[in-house]
Amino acid sequence: MLKINNLHAEIDGKEILKGLSLTVNAGEVHAIMGPNGAGKSTLGYVLGGRPGYEVTQGSVEFAGQDLLEMAPHERAAAGLFLGFQYPVEIPGVSNVQFLREALNAQRATRDEKALSGGEFLKLARGQADLLGMDYDMLKRPVNVGFSGGEKKRNEMVQMGIVAPKLAILDETDSGLDIDALRIVGDGINRIMRSADKAVILITHYQRLLDYVQPDFVHVLADGRIVRSGGPELAAQLEADGYVGIAA
Amino acid sequence: MNTLTLPDTRVEAWRWADPSAITAAAALPVTRATDTDTLFLDLPGVRLLVVDGVPQVDGQSLGGLTFVTLAGSDHVLGAQAAGPGWRLDLPADSASDPVQIVHVSTGGSNQLPAEIMLGDGAVVQVVETYVGSGWSNRLTRVTLGKGARLMRAVRLLQTEGFVSLREEASMGEAASLVTTMLGAGDAGSRIDAAITLAGDGGSAEYGGALLTRAEQRQECVVRVRHTEPNGQSHQLWRAVAADRSTASLAAAVEVARDAQKTDGEQSLRGLLLQRTATVNLKPELEIFADDVKCAHGATVGELDAKALFYMQSRGIAPARAQALLTRAFVGDALVRIGDDTIRAAFEADADAWLDRALGGAGAV
Repeated sequence: MLKINNLHAEIDGKEILKGLSLTVNAGEVHAIMGPNGAGKSTLGYVLGGRPGYEVTQGSVEFAGQDLLEMAPHERAAAGLFLGFQYPVEIPGVSNVQFLREALNAQRATRDEKALSGGEFLKLARGQADLLGMDYDMLKRPVNVGFSGGEKKRNEMVQMGIVAPKLAILDETDSGLDIDALRIVGDGINRIMRSADKAVILITHYQRLLDYVQPDFVHVLADGRIVRSGGPELAAQLEADGYVGIAA
Repeated sequence: MNTLTLPDTRVEAWRWADPSAITAAAALPVTRATDTDTLFLDLPGVRLLVVDGVPQVDGQSLGGLTFVTLAGSDHVLGAQAAGPGWRLDLPADSASDPVQIVHVSTGGSNQLPAEIMLGDGAVVQVVETYVGSGWSNRLTRVTLGKGARLMRAVRLLQTEGFVSLREEASMGEAASLVTTMLGAGDAGSRIDAAITLAGDGGSAEYGGALLTRAEQRQECVVRVRHTEPNGQSHQLWRAVAADRSTASLAAAVEVARDAQKTDGEQSLRGLLLQRTATVNLKPELEIFADDVKCAHGATVGELDAKALFYMQSRGIAPARAQALLTRAFVGDALVRIGDDTIRAAFEADADAWLDRALGGAGAV
C-alpha cells in the first residue's frame, strides 16, 4: 500500500530525513518510535504534503500512485489520513461543516455522490458516539476550546468519518488519560484494523501499543530507520531506552 | 457637483481616501436600471425603491415614511445631500415592521438625505441596499429617544462607481443602536460616521465588513462619542482585501470627562488574501474620564497556514479552504444582525464576493 524508498527531506535547508525506507502492506499496523528530533513528525508531514517540507531525494508510492506528485487534498481523497499531534483550531467553522465539506470533497474527487445533510449527520453522530464524544462538540468550531484529549478524540472521529485506507497517526496518544487512551485505541482498531487498511503509529511510548497491537515496530533515529522488529522491540525499548538500540 | 471640494489626504480623516474616485464615479454614463425585485428581502413592512436618489412613490408618504425637504449637515459630503429626502418618525413605544430601502443608481451622481427619529421606546429595523453604478451620496441622521432601539443593516453592492454614506446619530438615555455595514460590491465606498451617546447608559454597536478586490478601495471613518456615563460601544470591523485593493478602517472612541463607567471596545481586523493588497487600520481612543473600560485590538494578517494545511489534509481543496476560513473571518462581523433573513442575505452577499475574489470557491 505504501512504499517509501530512500526518502530525504529538509526544512529550511536542514536535512531531517536522511534516506528513510519503509514498506507498509494492507492489513498491517506499523509503529514508529524514536527519540525527540529523530524525524518522526517530519515523516508524517512529508507524507501529508505540508508546505515547507521539501523532498530532495527518494520516492513514495501510495496505492500505486506517486504520492509526492499529489497535492495534500488529493492525498486525502486517495485515502491517506494524517492524525495531527497538535490538531489545529479553526474559529468560525463548525466541526459538522468542516467534516461534511471534507468528506464530500473527497467523495467528489473519487466521483462518488455527495452525502446529504441528513446522511452526513447520521454518520457523524454514530462516529462521535463510538468515540464517546458529546454530539454538541460536533456543532462547535473545529477544536476551539477543546482540551488536548478532546482534540485527539476529534481526530479519531474525523478518521471514522472519512474512513481512509492508510492512517498516519502522529502521537495520537499524547495528552490522553488512561480512559481516553483505551477509547482512542479501540477506535483505531475498529476503524482501521481490516485486511484492506493500514496504520502507521508514530509514538514515544509503549502504552498505546498495549491497545493497538503493532505487527511491526521501527526505530527512527537521525532521519532513518535504524532497527525494525516485532512487538517485542517496543517492550525492549521501553525497558532499555533508545540509547542502546539506536547506537 | 462642480462646487464639491473634498479635503485632501493631508487631513487625517481623509488620509486613505481617493477623492478623485468620486468625481470619476459621478462621470459614469447612465445605464439601464437593475432588476430590483430580488433585492427586497422576504420581510413584512414598507419597501421603498429609490432610483438615482429619487424615491419612487406617489404622494407624500409610504407606510411610516414621509417625503420632505431636509437640510444638509456641516460635513463636506453631508452638506451635498441637502434637498428632498425621506423621514421615518416613529412615536413613543411603537414597534414598526422592518423598513427596506433599495437604492438603484444608473450612473451620474445622486444625493438623498434621510432622517430616522424614534420616540422613547420605539423599535424598528431598517435595511438598505445599494446597487448600480455612478456616485450615490447619502446623509442619514438618526435621533433615538429614551430606550429606543434601531437596528440598521446596510449593504453596498454597487458594481461600479462610488457610494458615500454620512451617518450622524444622537442617542438618548438607554437607547440602542446596532448598525452593520457590508461592503461587498465592486464600487468604491466611504462611510463617515459620527455617533454620540448623549444619554446615560446607551449602547451603540457600529461595525461591519469591507471586502475589496481588484483595484477597489473602500474606507470607513467612525467616531463614537460618549458624553454621558454608563454607555457601551462596540465597534467590530473586518476588512478583507484581495488583489491590489485597499480597505481602510479608522475607528475612534471619545470619552468625555463626565462619561464615567463607559465601556468602549474596538476590534479591527484585516485579512490580506494576496500580499499585493492593503489593509489600513487605525484604532483611536481619546479618554478624558478616569473610570472607564476601553479595549482595542487591531491586527492585519494572512490566512493561517496551519489551518489551511489542516483543512487540505482532510480533503478540502486549497481555494475552498481559503473560502471557508475567509468566510469565518467575515462572519464575526455579520453575527450582530439579529434577524435571520437579513443575516442570511448578507452572508450570501459575502459568499458571492468570495466566489468572485477566489475564483469560484465561495458559496459556503
